[in-house]
This record gives sequence, structure tokens and C-alpha cells, in this order.
Amino acid sequence: MFASVRSATLLGVRGSRVDVEVHAGIGLPGFTVVGQPDEVCRESRDRVRAALLSAGLPWPTRRVTVNLAPTGDRKSGACLDLAIAIGLLAAQEIVSVDVLSEFAFVAELGLDGSLRPLRGATPLVLALTDRTTIVAPGNFVEARAATPSNVFCAQNLFDVVECLAGRADWQREVRDATANSNTERAGVLDMADVQGQPVARRALEIAAAGAHHLLLVGPPGAGKTMLAERLVGLLPPLTDQEAIATTMVHSSVHLESPNAGLIRHAPYRAPHHSSSMVSMVGGGTALMRPGEISLASNGVLFLDELGEFAPSVLDALRQPLEQGIVRLARARTSVVMPAKFLLVAATNPCPCGEGSPGACTCDDAARARYLRRFSGPLLDRFDLRVAVSRPKTDELVSPQRGESTADVAERVAAARELAHFRSGCANSALSREQLDLVAPLSRSAEKRLRRELENGRLTGRGYHRVRRVARTVADLDGAPDVVNDEHLNLALMMRVDLASGLRARELQF
Amino acid sequence: MQKFLNEDHLTAASLTALPKIGPKRLSTLLKYHDPQTAWAVVQGRAKPHEVVAALMQESGLGAMWRANATRDLQEQILARCKKASIHVVLYGESGYPSCLKNDLAPPAVLFYQGDLSALNARRVGMIGTRSATASGRYFASHLAFELTQNGVCIVSGLARGIDAWAHRGALRALEKTHSEEVKKSKPAFGKLAPPVGVVASGLDYVYPKEHGDLWRQVAQTGVLLSESSPGAAPEAFRFPLRNRILAALSEVLVVVESRDKGGSMITVDEAQKRDITVLAVPGSPRNIASVGTNLLVQQGCLPVVGVDDILVALGLDNRRANTASFDPRPRLSEQDAHLVAVMVGAPFSLDEFVIRTGVPLLEAAISLGRLEALGWVVNNSGWWEVIEFG
Repeated sequence: MFASVRSATLLGVRGSRVDVEVHAGIGLPGFTVVGQPDEVCRESRDRVRAALLSAGLPWPTRRVTVNLAPTGDRKSGACLDLAIAIGLLAAQEIVSVDVLSEFAFVAELGLDGSLRPLRGATPLVLALTDRTTIVAPGNFVEARAATPSNVFCAQNLFDVVECLAGRADWQREVRDATANSNTERAGVLDMADVQGQPVARRALEIAAAGAHHLLLVGPPGAGKTMLAERLVGLLPPLTDQEAIATTMVHSSVHLESPNAGLIRHAPYRAPHHSSSMVSMVGGGTALMRPGEISLASNGVLFLDELGEFAPSVLDALRQPLEQGIVRLARARTSVVMPAKFLLVAATNPCPCGEGSPGACTCDDAARARYLRRFSGPLLDRFDLRVAVSRPKTDELVSPQRGESTADVAERVAAARELAHFRSGCANSALSREQLDLVAPLSRSAEKRLRRELENGRLTGRGYHRVRRVARTVADLDGAPDVVNDEHLNLALMMRVDLASGLRARELQF
Repeated sequence: MQKFLNEDHLTAASLTALPKIGPKRLSTLLKYHDPQTAWAVVQGRAKPHEVVAALMQESGLGAMWRANATRDLQEQILARCKKASIHVVLYGESGYPSCLKNDLAPPAVLFYQGDLSALNARRVGMIGTRSATASGRYFASHLAFELTQNGVCIVSGLARGIDAWAHRGALRALEKTHSEEVKKSKPAFGKLAPPVGVVASGLDYVYPKEHGDLWRQVAQTGVLLSESSPGAAPEAFRFPLRNRILAALSEVLVVVESRDKGGSMITVDEAQKRDITVLAVPGSPRNIASVGTNLLVQQGCLPVVGVDDILVALGLDNRRANTASFDPRPRLSEQDAHLVAVMVGAPFSLDEFVIRTGVPLLEAAISLGRLEALGWVVNNSGWWEVIEFG
């Protein structure tokens, strides 16, 4: 007898449909799985057998072939367990083959016949929207958040069989009332905790408003990490589309997404500087696990101690930074994963950490060596490079609190809205043609910029980047038309040239 | 054909290249023997004087020297000297700089590139920290520029920071006057003094590497001195020894910027041992690079606020000099002058500027941009500094 059951497997951050075909025919009793199953997939034979027997259902005493179509792709993970079990039952005519065309099954089986949750429930369910999908109770909330209509759940294999036969009813409603209400953020850090540091505060605001990548340069204890952690709170909540994309990525790595619903706020990822290339960009197993840059998509990727990261890891960030996606190709597969993140990095200015002329004890060679760790092309991608100084004692003990995250976020949201209304993208993504249109310079600002170009302190690429930042500065300042001198000056000052202290200058007399 | 170095010079130079032979041991050796005999003594071919014999007993020195004192070493030294045109002068010879003759610890062998007559001018030592502020660097080069124009020679160590900038100022004065002479085809008023550099490593071992041009220029226009044999690496112990020569060559020692510890303070100690006047450029108490100089002023060193202070210390009459300094920068508006007055002293970050002046950030950015364009502030790697001198 033959049965075909719909299911899906995970590849990268997407689910791909799989038809589990089961054939039970005459011959010596045996069981084979074909269609490129991996080790976990192959082991499903033993799980399914135990689950069937535990549920009081028969194991076929015929020659059974299970084919996973399309056979050209490699299948990985235990997500096909339930589909194989149902297929076996259908091939034995315990379950009617006719009803199966309406359903898809994604769940792992326990030996006692219970349905177990899987990681990647969101992408798996999204790949099966044309059918009614049966999931494990542990995945039900997440799956319902992704596509609310046609996801049902059952406790165990026996229940599934009963429901398919119409003798019982599926569980259709989410019982947990808190499930879908996760738009408010838990534990967002407040900007009001930052004492003093007006420049760094403004830099965060500009970075959030214009989606400009930010490099914080400062001595130890200047609060670089503290600042970076607060940037994510300034970003607006995710749109529906972004929320689904972000949830898909997080779901395919974690068993459950936070609060088990869609992720509605910008994620914050801060990988340690010992992170490997694979952990940063993704790949690794046959599943093509998403890396930190995909997990930070639509949010903030914070790299503390930028100079300590392996140079190859940092350079691997360049292409995703430009394109907003990462395309990983392997011999058998290639996947595309989102990587549209806001990059925030922190570094000391020099080996001794002090940086300020006179206080720094490093010699020029040591400083030059330190700066060589950052490749020019990478540094160039930071629109904002800001020197952060240690707050003075007076500022630290001052009872006066800074502006709160809520107030700043309001300005950021207004500026973002303005930018999207005007040009359909964040200011950092403005093309050169758009720049002339939406960010015309005032006479004096143009003169200033010309001077920077002429004395060689600004490159051609830097020229456009400064203009984009200046556009954001002006937006936040409530000047939606012309970019003025003060906006441009601030943009230039937030583009610190780390090596400028090492260059000898011409004597003036 | 006449040899590049005579036998005495070559032998003495080779002695300098022996291992573990500091200036003290070398002096002892050459005090009791002439160079040729000393070489023979080291090789074990001649009987040493009893003082020298005692010295050579010390922890196997004699054996180590004997092993190294070969014909090869002499040839190596000769080749190096020839290649870099390094000359040698011995203590007691007529060409030996008179200012070192009566020193507490005169170098027995002195290597030089260039012309020793540069030492005949009035000499001011100019030293300071390697990690100087922009303000300190400008001031050092400015002082050196004016002193050179006044016929005072700048003695310095060619290290990074203040040392190098002092010599850059001196060289700039020579270069400028030279080009003016060519332009006007008439001699400049007053006589310029060529610079003197004293270095720790061998004269053909440029350290720091990036100062290669500066070394060459100093040797071409003035003189470059060292007591280390050619090829000697800049080992740490050589620097305090170099500082002693630098102090001994100076009539007046000017410390531009220094922390409370470091090479500059060693030079100051050496100068004070020799009763040489030490002047210090005071700085803001907030500026870490000025802690040492402020300390010196506190201890009674006279402060330097302009070139006249140094000329007075040398006993030079500056009334008729035609080097009235002129600040070519545009005058500041009242508002900008106030900002400069508030921020002068230590380097500051944009944060500090905003907090201390109370100016809103956008306005601060435009003010700093304007001041930078006018040359009143400079920015180095994100740190701002007020430049008080044009």
C-alpha cells in the first residue's frame, strides 16, 4: 500500500516542503529510508517504531520503503517523525489516505508516542500555509503567531489518529492568554542612566535615526558597552514583515522564541571577540544554521573590542553590510539569510587605552600597529566614528539624569518616518543621486566640505557618507530641507580619523 | 691612497664595538694605553697596566674581549664607517669638541657624521617627552626656529616627539633662509646655527626608523654624534648615556614637555650635575604631558614663555634682532576668544568642550570647525587642542 504525507525540513532560515512517501509491500519485513536523510533522520525509524507500539498502534510486518521527496535535497533533523508515522499508518489503512491531502505534519516523536516541539517551527509552518499543519503543543503558540488560521495541535500520536478519523477534535485555540501580547519590551535599558557624554548620546540618536553604523572609540571605563546596549531601545518596533523575518531566524536557532510569539522589538546581539567565522556569518552544519549577523538582522550587532576579532571574521562582514543579506554557498546547497543589521563596534584608541595626546604612553609604532588591525574598507563603513571620553567625577555623581530612552526614541521615530516618507529608505541607504535631491547643501556647508576634500582629509566615499549623516543630523534638528553648516560640521566631527595623530604636519612658519 | 680612518681611529672604534664595554671601561682602557696597545692588550699580546688588568679579571671580561677582538671586527667597523661616512675623534685629540673636554664623563671615542664645527655656536639643548601634545610640538619647533635664526644651535636627541620637532623647526629655519637667499641673491641678516643631534644607537642604525630623513638632514647641515660603535642597536642602557652627552653639550637645557618621570628628567639630572641652567616650559596643570616641566618650575627652574627667555639665559642681546614673531592667523571674535581661553591647556574631547563651555552640540561643532579653519585648534585622532602660537 502507498501513502504520501506532507511535511517540511529546515534549511538556513527557511522551511522547504518534503513529501514523505511510504510504501508497504510484499517481501521480507524491513524498513529503509531513502532520499538523502541525515543521521538524525535515519534514526526516526526507531523513534517511530517505539512511538507506534506505545500508542497501541501496529508496526507493519511487510517490506517498507520511505522516500523523502524531492530526493535531490538533503533532509536533516527529526521534523519528519510524525509524517513518517502517519504514512506508515496510512499504508496499513489505519488512517484514511483521503484525508491526508488536507494536512501537513511537523513534530518530533517521543518513544512514548508524545509529540515533541522542534526548532524552526515558524519557518516550517510558513512553508506549509496551503495545508492544515499539525504541530506539537510546545510549538503551538509560536506557530499560531506565524500563521494564525490553519495550525492545529495534538498531544500524542494516538490523539492524531483519533482526530484524523474524526473521533476526536483537534486543539485549535491557544490557551495561554499572554501569548500574543509581547509588543512591550522587557528589560530595556534606559538612556537616562548615561551621565554626561553629550556627544555619544547624540551619536546613538543619529545612528538609530539614520541607520548609520557606529564605531565608539574610547578608553576603558568610558561606557562604550553601556552606550551600545542602549541603542537597541531607540530603534522603533519592528513592522509585521520584519517581525516575521526576525522570528524565522531566531526560531531556526532556538527551540522557542521569547514569549513564544512574534519578535516585535529589535534584537541585540553581542558576540564575544573569540567568535568563529561560522558563528558570525552562519553555516556549519547541513542545516546551515544562521550566524550572529542574521540573528541581529533588523536590530543591533555589537562588536566589543573590535581589534580583538579575527581579521578574517571582520572582513567577512563587509559584503553583508553592503547588501543586507548573506548568501552562503556550499557544495550541496546554498542559502540566503537576512543580515540587515546596525553595526556598533567599540575599541580602545591605542594599546594603552588612554588615547589623549600627552596621556597616552604608546609610541607611534605601537599605535600604528594597533590601527592596522582594522582594515580600511571596514573602518570606511562606519558612518559615525565617535571619540568617547571617560565621564568626569562631577558628571558621574551628578543627581541630574539624562534624557530618557522614551523621549529620544520619539525623535528617532519621527526622523525615521520623515526619511522613509521622503525617499523610501533610511538615510544611510540614500543613493548618490538621491543625495543631491534630498540633501542639498547650503553655500557655507558646501564650502566647508570642499575644504575637507581639498586638504585630503575626506575621500570620495567619505564625502557621500558625511552628507548622509549630515542629512540625519538635520532631520533630528528639525531642518528637513537644506543641510546647514552646523549639521555638516557635526557630521564631520563624528567621523574621527583614528590615524590622524600619527601623521606629521607641515610646519606653518 | 690615504686611508679613510687612521690606524688609531680604527682601533679605537673597534674597541668600542667589543661586548660589555661601556664608556667607563673604554675610558679606563684608553687612559692607560694608546689605542694600538690597548688592542694588543685586549688580544692578550701585550701586558696590561695593573688597573686595566684588574678590570679584565672582572667576570671573564678579558676572555670575552679576546674572543671578539679579531681582524674581522676591525674590517667590519671600517666597512660600516666608510659606507655611512662616519668619522671618529678621540679624547685628547685636537679635533675633540672643546665643550666635552672638561666634562665629568667625556666619551673616550666619539663618532660623528657631518661637521664638528657646528658645536662652535652657542648651544641650547631642547628635550621633552616622546608622546607630546600638538601644542608642545608646535612650541618646540617654534622655539628652535627662532633660536636657529638667532645663531643658536639646537642640540637634541632625535627621538620621537619634542626632540624631532625641535630639529624640524631648526631645519625649517635653515631651509627658509636658504631659499630667501637664493631668491634675493643676498646673504641673510645674522648667522644661522646648524643643528646638532646626539643619538644612542650607532650612527648607521636609524632609530626610530621613520626619522631617517631627519637624521640625514641633521648630518648634512650640522653634525650627528654618537658614542656607540656603528651598527650598535638602540638598547635601553644607551639612552641615559646619550642623555649625559646631550646635557654636557648644552649651555642651557630647555625642557618643553615632560611627565614627572622619563628620559627628559634623566637629562635634567645630568645637566644639574654639571651646573647647566635648566629652563622649563610651563603647561596647564591639567595636561599630563606638562607635569614634569611644571614640577621643574616649582623647584626653581626659570620658566620659558618665549625665545627671549632662552636668549637672556645665554646672555645674548636680542634687542636688535629682526625676528619679531608675528602670528599670521586672523584675530578671533570675542566669542571665539572666550572659547579658546576656556579650552587652552590640555587636549580635550568634543564631550569636554560641550560640558565645559556649555555650548549646545551643534553650535559647538560649528565653532570648532571655524577655529580649526583659522588654525587655532587642531584635531588629532578625535582629540582637540588649542594652538597658542601661530
